[in-house]
Amino acid sequence: MTSVVATNQTILVVGGGISGMTAALEAAETGKQVVLVEKNPYLGGRTVQLYRYFPKMCHPTCGLEINLRRLKANPRIQVLTLAEVTGISGDKGAYSVSVKLKPRYVNSNCTACGECGKAVQTEIADEFNYNLGKIKAAYLPSNMAYPQRYVIDPSIIGTPDAERAKAACKYDAVNLDDREETISLNAGAIVWATGWQPYAAEKIVYYGYDRFPNVITNVEFERLADPHGPTGGKILRPSDGKEAKNVAFIQCAGSRDENHLRHCSRFCCMGSLKQTHYVQEAYGDEGKSTIYYIDIRAIDRFEDFYQKVKANPNVTFVKSKVARITEDKAGNPVCNGVNTEGYIRYANAHDLVVLAVGMEPSVKGVQIPAEVMSDSSGFIMADPANAGIFGAGCATNALDVNRAVQSATAAALRAIQVVNKVARAEA
Amino acid sequence: MAETKTAAYICKGCEIGTRLDTAALVKTATKSGKMNIVREHDFLCSAEGVAMIQNDIDNEGVTHAALCACSRRAKTEAFNFPTIAMSRGNLREGVIWIRPDTDAARETTQEMAEDYVRMACAEVKAMTVPPGNQKTGTVKTLLVVGGGMSGMTSALEASKAGYKVVLVEKSAALGGWAAKLHKRVPTREPFKSPEDNGVADMVARIEADSNIKAYLNATIAKTDGAPGRFKVDIAIESGAIAQEDVGAIIQATGFTLYDANKLPEFAYGKTPNVVDQAGLEALAKAAAAEGKPIRRPSDGQPVKSVVFVQCAGQRDATGKHLQYCSGFCCNTSIKQAMYFKDSNPDIDTVVLFTDLRTPGNGEDFYRAAQNKGVIFSKGVVSQVVPSGNACTVKFKDLILNEDTEAQADLVVLATGVVPNSGVNIDAPVAAPAAAPAEAAEGEVAGEVIATIAPESILNLTYRQGPDMPQFKHGFTDSHFICFPYETRRTGIYTAGPVRRPMDILQAQEDATGAAMKAIQAMENAGLGKAAHPRAGDLSFPTVRLEGCTQCKRCTVECPFGAIDEDEKRFPLFNESRCRRCGTCMGACPVRVISFENYSVNTVGSQIKSVEVPDEFSEKPRILILACENDAYPALDMAGMNRNEYDPFVRVIPIRCLGSVNTIWITDALNGGYDGVMLMGCKHGEEYQCHFVKGSELGRYRLSKVGDTLKGMNLETERVHDLEVAITDIATLPQKINDYAALIKSFPPSPFKGF
Amino acid sequence: MSDLNQEMAARYKNNFLKEIEEQAEMGEWVKMCMQCGLCSGSCPTNFHSGWDHPPQEIFMLIRAGKREEVLNAQGMYMCTSCYNCYVRCPRKVPVTHVMHGIAEYAYRIGRAPKNQPTMHLSKTFWTNATKHGRVNEVQLTQSLYFKDGIGAGIKKAMEMQKEALGLVKAGRLNPMEALGMGHKCKDVKGIHAMLAKAEELEAKNKAAKA
Repeated sequence: MTSVVATNQTILVVGGGISGMTAALEAAETGKQVVLVEKNPYLGGRTVQLYRYFPKMCHPTCGLEINLRRLKANPRIQVLTLAEVTGISGDKGAYSVSVKLKPRYVNSNCTACGECGKAVQTEIADEFNYNLGKIKAAYLPSNMAYPQRYVIDPSIIGTPDAERAKAACKYDAVNLDDREETISLNAGAIVWATGWQPYAAEKIVYYGYDRFPNVITNVEFERLADPHGPTGGKILRPSDGKEAKNVAFIQCAGSRDENHLRHCSRFCCMGSLKQTHYVQEAYGDEGKSTIYYIDIRAIDRFEDFYQKVKANPNVTFVKSKVARITEDKAGNPVCNGVNTEGYIRYANAHDLVVLAVGMEPSVKGVQIPAEVMSDSSGFIMADPANAGIFGAGCATNALDVNRAVQSATAAALRAIQVVNKVARAEA
Repeated sequence: MAETKTAAYICKGCEIGTRLDTAALVKTATKSGKMNIVREHDFLCSAEGVAMIQNDIDNEGVTHAALCACSRRAKTEAFNFPTIAMSRGNLREGVIWIRPDTDAARETTQEMAEDYVRMACAEVKAMTVPPGNQKTGTVKTLLVVGGGMSGMTSALEASKAGYKVVLVEKSAALGGWAAKLHKRVPTREPFKSPEDNGVADMVARIEADSNIKAYLNATIAKTDGAPGRFKVDIAIESGAIAQEDVGAIIQATGFTLYDANKLPEFAYGKTPNVVDQAGLEALAKAAAAEGKPIRRPSDGQPVKSVVFVQCAGQRDATGKHLQYCSGFCCNTSIKQAMYFKDSNPDIDTVVLFTDLRTPGNGEDFYRAAQNKGVIFSKGVVSQVVPSGNACTVKFKDLILNEDTEAQADLVVLATGVVPNSGVNIDAPVAAPAAAPAEAAEGEVAGEVIATIAPESILNLTYRQGPDMPQFKHGFTDSHFICFPYETRRTGIYTAGPVRRPMDILQAQEDATGAAMKAIQAMENAGLGKAAHPRAGDLSFPTVRLEGCTQCKRCTVECPFGAIDEDEKRFPLFNESRCRRCGTCMGACPVRVISFENYSVNTVGSQIKSVEVPDEFSEKPRILILACENDAYPALDMAGMNRNEYDPFVRVIPIRCLGSVNTIWITDALNGGYDGVMLMGCKHGEEYQCHFVKGSELGRYRLSKVGDTLKGMNLETERVHDLEVAITDIATLPQKINDYAALIKSFPPSPFKGF
Repeated sequence: MSDLNQEMAARYKNNFLKEIEEQAEMGEWVKMCMQCGLCSGSCPTNFHSGWDHPPQEIFMLIRAGKREEVLNAQGMYMCTSCYNCYVRCPRKVPVTHVMHGIAEYAYRIGRAPKNQPTMHLSKTFWTNATKHGRVNEVQLTQSLYFKDGIGAGIKKAMEMQKEALGLVKAGRLNPMEALGMGHKCKDVKGIHAMLAKAEELEAKNKAAKA
């Protein structure tokens, strides 16, 4: 049984992406006891799956390294991975929370030596790379995975492969008898930071994401550009592995659309502007990008970044929401639509189309097992009645990384306000 | 003081035992490492292995331990012995994982491992456990400068967490920009109509809050001290000075609207019927007070048509006006158009924009405005021509692709914001009034930033200037995406639109986050702990003053302004301003600055401990000093991916390139090393150095090493500076190998064997 | 008819948007368009042959008060009611209906061009269908073929000969329909009564609105 030390002065942070990690670290570095719960087998969330950040074009793992070091150095944070909050009862200052822990089949003896991975034969879809590749069923999710411990996929449990993994481990780290368990813990305040998920692109039927192999999403494009992604950082199109030198970016794929996401997802304009750099980085002047947009929302100082991309002769801007994608005989996706600036009809063939899909909360307000207020998109809204559950990061709004971290820092203080009150009452 | 007892532990797990001759490593630790206790273990990070070490600490009195196993980044939960000094010899990621498992490689791999054992032993012997600085300030009152929405929010939120707050506002009333608003943009579902500006409620809460002491008509005359013990002089209305002791500071000084007088083409000032967004708020407030519709300033007739000109003087690529977008003005214009539509749907309201920017639920607000009949046209306004009581707005309609015009009783210019960020301490000192064209610093050249008199806001007594360092366009933002609150002045945070253009809702969120950081800074200052990024670090630089030559390099170079000069002109360390990067240590030419666990000696003794083979052996030695934040993890991950590199390198992690003292380089070269490679983070405008200026200063120092090399009759290429990102997992080994090949093309160092 | 045009122009002086909002069915949706162009690009007829003004541009022209340009436009008559634009519009504007509303309004005030083919089709279709209770395909085809004169009609009929014979062979076309025979609706009278009631209700609604 997993044991967790938690009291009514403990802050529970749900979600171990950059927002959850930030909230946990800020609270712990202020002297508070924190339990951090993460659904994945590793921390870092979606930021780790990004190749670079706008506008600095720096690497997300750089900040993650610092955050992990802060975490390793801080005894006040207890991390639970493969864990999901299934129930919350009680009131602020005295919550009782149930957490379901999925088996990892690998215990803390693991040294990440990699022998189990070598021994196992089964391959499974690589979720970290948005299923663009395959990995062994005993795996370390990424180079930066924390806990730095292998995971055995449940699909091989009960098969000879699992036994092979166990036999390969010299450290008795493979525990095939690991079982799902539910634990309960106390918390005075809860920070809900379950982040976002990319909008399901296949729902935008006229873009044919599920019909055309060369129509992909912005999050998938990040993996293609990443040297540690499935193509080794080469921007190759899925259908035939051809170099994708002529790339289209379709903005508001799902966002600002009452048939899909009502809200503007905020980050996608900057995301695509950033991704034009990837094309340029890969193919120099041969790399051409076209951005189809309604409004370019490069808000505040990001305007600089937009102006620089705009000045790049290899990037074309078309003010138009692409109406549909077709495929030509060569397997090129063709964007059809009307440039509304002056009414110009177009049917442009590209090597690859990237849908700038929007952001929706990965756990919508109604799915949160507690009473929280949420808006029509399912993002958590601040509660004027001020309960002890606070949203942080993209669970509260469509935010970029910078703003998500701000939000998480604010959420940490709100949680501290509650546990400080508990502390004063208990003193 | 407890007697020093040293121990080395050699792990045999993860194939270390099969790939290396660990018995020889034990011998190395005993003989050259001179460790009191040396033990091997099959699986050091196991419960038994950890218990063995703990037992030695508890029962053998071990005070210093060199753990020769995996990387210092791995198995940190197992190897957690906070009471002793500890070093990690990286035999796994640093040796066996980056070397091929072949007979040919065995000898050099073993030599590599033996050196890492020697280095771990040498390092730990030079370390002590930091006791934590005792001279800490423990004041836990927060100072908030600026009483607008951001400042009030910071004050209230800090108070709610149980902290006392001193709030200083320059004007006669709290509320700032928000108080000037008739209403604010909606913050809640259904995001359809303007809301009450919320100021009165907040002011009432502040007045009723016994934790908050507010000074109105007051400014900061002087800020002295450090987190946990700031002494602040507040100039109050009477001319007197009030003194407050505070532990941390939030600067929430807001913004000033960009001056519409600089936009003569839009007729501002030529007719009262052209106003900026503040002007419209004033008209709306006055009208609401009288219970009448908004009236045209020129003749007092009710306004029947309004045109909103977005991005007036903003997003300007010519360099004449603001280059950035102010972020909130689209929503503000939508709100202002609703002032008209909500009172009388027959009033024509047209918003002329190029990109309408209503992120998040702003999209609902945009839709609501359309539903209320506000007309949105994508167009670029060229001119506003007043005639009588009306104006003609000339613009190019980008959708219909034609030059056209609109008539309006009132024209509202969305002019954007200029931050009230005080003195730009990084600006060239010479001639502030000189032609801006001469500023000539990259893209800032020619940009009109502030038109506000550069009066200091904080009046810091810091050697590095009286205000917060500015980022782009005069905002005091952080440069870090992952760490938005990281400023270069520990314990002082900026919040709200002075930091970055933002709307009220964001400003309140920002102000809450800033309060969090400020509270954290006060708490940690009291415990002698460092702030980000070495959060919790208890190590602290000490100066051997008798050796100091008062050259001031440490005070000048400290990226965080932590060091002042005392009355005798010696460096005066303000403990809680320090971020423990070691830049001062790197800068010191006489090497009198050191940390308990990181010093010229901890690194120097490692360099000297490496066995340098003679010149006939064809085994060069290359020293790599790798930044622990990005380069060292990249090397680790290269190991995890089994990306091999040259066996002649010896890697030492450093806190920052800025901490590199050139003595390490000259010692290495004098000791017969054939080359020195330095790995640090990107510097310059898009710097990635976690200590802001560390890598830049380190590189500057390195640029001078060439002369030393020439003086030693060595090729200047023997010292190589490499910019490394954490993702250079595959490329870094290649670069190491290329460099090693270059070194091998040179004759062996003539200093071997001395 | 043209008097109504002038009357409306005078009534809504300088406010064509308001005129459309009040007079054209679904005209109140015009203001909701955000000019993304999805409708224009989704339209199969626009995409292949190109209207003078596609929907999104017509909406912009209305908002810009360009009454003459809109009323002279061909675009709104070109719609084939495929509803691509309607189902895709991110603002949920019922573009198809708005276009029909504008076309109908232009027709009502006498601004629809004479012999506008789609308008002719819909009128003919309506008359044909309501008369028989179901469409008499042969008669409908004839009236379309011969709309521009006998010569043009014969020419068109000759062109389509093959298709027509094929349909007859497959039992999909009854040549006797030309004589008003062939398929019939079971209760024509009932349908006429329903249509009369519908017209009565619509008139009532319109009166109530005005």
